[in-house]
Amino acid sequence: MPDLIIDNLTMRFSGLVALDEVSFSVKNNEIFSLIGPNGSGKTTLFNCINGFNKPQNGKIYFNGDNLLGKKAHRIIHSGISRTFQNVQNIPFMTILDNILLGANSRIDALDTLKRCVSRDQRKTEESMALEIMDFLGMANYEQKFMMGQPFAIQKLAEIARALVSKPKLILLDEPAAGMNDQETREIANIIRDIRDELGVTVLLVEHDMNLVMSISDRICVLESGKILALGKPNVVKDDPKVIESYLGEPLDA
Amino acid sequence: MKDRYDHENIYWIPILIIFVFLLPLILKGISFSYKYYLFVLNLAGIYIILNVGLDLLSGFTGLVSLGHAAFLAVGAYTSAIMVDQLGVPFSLSLILSPVIVGLFGFIIGFPALRISGMYLGLTTMGFGFIVKRIIISFRDWTQGSAGLEVSSPVLFGYTIKSDLDNYYLIYTFVIVAIIIGRRIATSKIGRSFMAIRDSEQAAEASGINLSQYKMLAFFISGLFAGFAGVLFAHTSSFISTDHFDILLSIYFIIMVLVGGASSIYGAVLGSLFIVLLDNLFVPLIEDQIQLLFNTQAGDIQSLIFGLIMFLFIIFQPMGLYGMWLKMRIYWKLFPFNPRQRFT
Repeated sequence: MPDLIIDNLTMRFSGLVALDEVSFSVKNNEIFSLIGPNGSGKTTLFNCINGFNKPQNGKIYFNGDNLLGKKAHRIIHSGISRTFQNVQNIPFMTILDNILLGANSRIDALDTLKRCVSRDQRKTEESMALEIMDFLGMANYEQKFMMGQPFAIQKLAEIARALVSKPKLILLDEPAAGMNDQETREIANIIRDIRDELGVTVLLVEHDMNLVMSISDRICVLESGKILALGKPNVVKDDPKVIESYLGEPLDA
Repeated sequence: MKDRYDHENIYWIPILIIFVFLLPLILKGISFSYKYYLFVLNLAGIYIILNVGLDLLSGFTGLVSLGHAAFLAVGAYTSAIMVDQLGVPFSLSLILSPVIVGLFGFIIGFPALRISGMYLGLTTMGFGFIVKRIIISFRDWTQGSAGLEVSSPVLFGYTIKSDLDNYYLIYTFVIVAIIIGRRIATSKIGRSFMAIRDSEQAAEASGINLSQYKMLAFFISGLFAGFAGVLFAHTSSFISTDHFDILLSIYFIIMVLVGGASSIYGAVLGSLFIVLLDNLFVPLIEDQIQLLFNTQAGDIQSLIFGLIMFLFIIFQPMGLYGMWLKMRIYWKLFPFNPRQRFT
């Protein structure tokens, strides 16, 4: 059964058509990648799912809920969390607190009140974040301030912040941008683990083709807001239209 | 799971509380003018309560308020009118007035949903002027610009009159305010406030309702300011609109900045530093400066505060609390890497 259904989505920014009748669906427990040249509408699509942009036309369903009527801060309650292309962290908080920010939707008002009288609540809050930090292999960073941390750690902290809310679908916006080869391989393993061990569906935007081709179950290629190709990685890789508009000719051809 | 969070060292807190309660006795022992010192400390205590709230609003949430003197005024006048003219007991007014000021803050919070930064500062400043004008025009209740006599607080049948009694009353609430402020700052609410300041996108994607939390920040800040206002009215026994000048709002911002924005202890240190400097140090040098330049009484205060703020922003943007953190790291690492900075 499809998890996320995007149906005829059209988003215009006064004249510029960023998304033009895009329709596809993402299955449960799948790694689905969106690729395409700059300005092809990948991040706009994320913003539409996330509620930051309000599309003029079309529908987005997630597990039967219509997402378009919801405000941006309610989306996380439906089980969708995201990371950002240019990292959005809080520099003057510790990494632990940054990650706990993502757990906001799991801490209700009663817990906040309990926190005022006892220290146990703090421990339950922390254990949420520490679990995820151990999973991502960033133990021993919890006490450090976000300011001045290496870029890779900041990116990981953002993924941790998205995971700590226990989502069903995570939107990763260029997780490997600015990373070296070693770190990119680690990110690839982490994305696989997110799917296999946590059972979270992954929707990925990425420009690193090796990463995309190696981990994706299906790939959707966007160009100027339209879907150019959609399918398994090896099918998309050999599609002549995709090679022409985005991948380019192989060197030996 | 192993507890990996470095709980801060809290053993010095009881010692500090005992010191706060013994301080008047120590002052009495060593100085003739201890009543003046108590008066200054009482003022500092009231400003501490207000600045904890202002820090939560301007330091944590990043919503600049230049109208906090007006919040203080609303709290002071509300309580004075309720206790003296409507016959509400002081203990009830201590709860009701802050809530009323909190609701006022709520109203002022509406523009903050649309505007931010300097423009919000100007809007709140305008609110300050409006409140002053309203207080003057409600002559029947407030006696206009002539000022209002306020009765001494009565708690559990005991009338609190002397500076010493006021000191204990105020500093009990100062300690409560600091503890509550700390708890708010380190909880989900404090994290959400900082997220709103630094990245609204990340905050919204993490499920924070921006408008709700901005209003909450104004409400909490109003509660603290209202509390300070009640204590101010009843311990100083006379209030007038001159006490709540626009300049006072700016001094509050200076106190928070000098102490170190977005740390509760910073707000405390900043209030103490500025109030003690203003009342103990400025009078010492005022006469000498007046011999050199032809100045009015208030000029030197503004000059020194401006200079302090200027120097702090350039050399110590993290404020006094940031200085303390740097010193602590310095001593922890002492023989090695003594140039380590706070990061």
